[in-house]
Amino acid sequence: MLKLFKKDLKLFFHDQRSVILTFLLPVILISLFAFAYGGIGVFDGRSEPVNLLVADMDQTSSSKEIIYKIDSLEDISIVISDSVKSKELVIKGKYACALIIYKGFQDSLAAGNATPIELVYDRSREMEIGILQQNLISTLMSSTSKIIVKKSIENYLQDQFPDIDKSISDNILRTAIKDDSNTVAIKWTSIVGEKNDTKLGLIQAVAGTAILMLLFSVAGVGTSILEEKENGTINRLLYSPLKGSTILYGKMLFAFFISILQLTTMFLFAWLIFNMDLSVNIPALILMIIATAFAVSSLGIFLAAIAKTRQQAQNLSTIIILIMSAIGGSMIPLFIMPAILQKIALLSVNYWGIQGFYDVFWRILPLEAILPKILILMSIGIIMTLASIQLFKKRIIKLT
Amino acid sequence: MITVRSVSKSFGNIEAVKNVSFNIEKGEIFGILGPNGAGKSTIVNILNTLVKPDKGDVIIDGVNIKDDGDIIKMIMGVVPQEIALYEELSAYENLMFWGGLYDIPKSELKVNINNTLEIVDLSDRKNDRIKTFSGGMKRRINIACSLLHNPKILVLDEPTVGVDPQNRNHIFEVIERLNNEGMTIIYTTHYMQEAERFCDTIAIIDVGRIIALGTLKELREISDAKDLLTFKLVDLNNETISRITSANPLIRLGSAFNTLEAECENISNEISIIVNHIQNSGGVIERIYTQGTNLESIFLKLTGKKLRD
Repeated sequence: MLKLFKKDLKLFFHDQRSVILTFLLPVILISLFAFAYGGIGVFDGRSEPVNLLVADMDQTSSSKEIIYKIDSLEDISIVISDSVKSKELVIKGKYACALIIYKGFQDSLAAGNATPIELVYDRSREMEIGILQQNLISTLMSSTSKIIVKKSIENYLQDQFPDIDKSISDNILRTAIKDDSNTVAIKWTSIVGEKNDTKLGLIQAVAGTAILMLLFSVAGVGTSILEEKENGTINRLLYSPLKGSTILYGKMLFAFFISILQLTTMFLFAWLIFNMDLSVNIPALILMIIATAFAVSSLGIFLAAIAKTRQQAQNLSTIIILIMSAIGGSMIPLFIMPAILQKIALLSVNYWGIQGFYDVFWRILPLEAILPKILILMSIGIIMTLASIQLFKKRIIKLT
Repeated sequence: MITVRSVSKSFGNIEAVKNVSFNIEKGEIFGILGPNGAGKSTIVNILNTLVKPDKGDVIIDGVNIKDDGDIIKMIMGVVPQEIALYEELSAYENLMFWGGLYDIPKSELKVNINNTLEIVDLSDRKNDRIKTFSGGMKRRINIACSLLHNPKILVLDEPTVGVDPQNRNHIFEVIERLNNEGMTIIYTTHYMQEAERFCDTIAIIDVGRIIALGTLKELREISDAKDLLTFKLVDLNNETISRITSANPLIRLGSAFNTLEAECENISNEISIIVNHIQNSGGVIERIYTQGTNLESIFLKLTGKKLRD
């Protein structure tokens, strides 16, 4: 029994892939998740501040005071804009929400009427909205209450006791505004995804999972060129009139075709089984599928190109795909990650793919608004393709 | 048909081929013999334009490989050392794929496939997947894939590695048939018997250099290798050995237990004389082994090492 145990132990540690999958990969992912959730590093218990767009259409001392109070909160970072642009930016997914203080805000406060204040938001970013709920509402309520009470008392004192000493009136005000009665109601309006019937979770499940699985299957196609090298068929291909680059393009075409087929199949499955509405923007959907397939297939070929053996390519693919999916939004919501990881996420295919499909199905943006993401995916594909060609020429074709 | 002049090729610091020159006539079977790592595959890859030589020229059918590699690929078929086939595809599908790379019209390709399957005697298995084939059958399909574009020259890079005797004979028959039909054949091997069996000219290569080149007869003369007689004696002791070696200095102690060896120019002429010397000196011969001059002994003589070292 002990001999069998020793033999298996020896075989296990000789198998690079097993060792990586058993020890290295979990360690990397644990570190990544811990970093993302704030379990390590310089994290002080708080999430990154939520960026809140604020459109102040009232432009009064009361509205400015409210904005000042909100800006002083550690969990919220204010970005000033106008109401139209704010809504547009939320719809495009650039920001989770926008606070719009309409004209007449101060007057309504003074008159004790319902204040014209609205928070427009993207329902898909509920965790960011949750942070806002905790901080924004209480600040807003207490601030507006104090302003109302202060204004009322000031008016009363000015009418009844025009000559009152300022220190006495300040004392009266301080005492009076200790009471935080919530008299202001913010109008919460979801402005993204309201026009379609597709559930948010379904879009995340299909887009996130599709890209993750696509990366794995395409990495498999990429490694097949190394398999051809190992079993000698690539030599035989090179003995024929085919050019080395033609062999690579053939592989890329196959990877691209498989990617399109896989993505299309997944969306058709979601349509047939879960009634996902694919007709919201068919041209954008087709272009997103093509761009994502191109970027992912090029990445799969690139992963194979940087490896020397099939075994190495498989190990490398597993690590890179899982890490990229984790930081790209397939596994962890992006906004809870440290700022540095959010910036790194922009380098991942997952990020651009998932966000692009969100634009199509959730935000229902017009094609021209989705084009930048499509172009980025295409650019990733072109860069990876050019790099792969160089690497393959150097490593595969010349080393046969 | 093929002229190789002063060709050298290095990979990094390793000189794989050093100043190699030879000529191959049309319809000839040219053997390249050498141990593993001698540079045989590099020469093959230079001939089929896969590897560019650092120095020297290769002219094939009047075309310098530096000028037009594509023409060379069309007139040359290469059977790689590995079984370079797609296991999940059938023999026919493999042949269709590999033949299709040469832009042969489909109808012509189908005829070529049937002819080739007949040559390698696997017509009845054409629809079976390669993974169901024996090693020898795979080797035969491996050869068939290189014949579909009717090449003038066929290069076989160690085509019988790991093949059982029956399939090996099949392969030999295929090669001899193709050669009889006029095909020029380049055959690399480290099996002496194969080179001896059908190579008209043999180049013996070691550490990237051709150390001898010629027919088997010419190589025998170059190397001065001789036939070998080995005698197994009963109770061979030092005294007997001394008496025998004194009687005939050509006789020496053999490498095996209780054996004596003698090199001779011609076994049939000299065997009776040597036997008399041994018996007259008190030796009792139990068995006699004869070994004619072969490539193994020529290689040993030329390099001082065995071919499979």
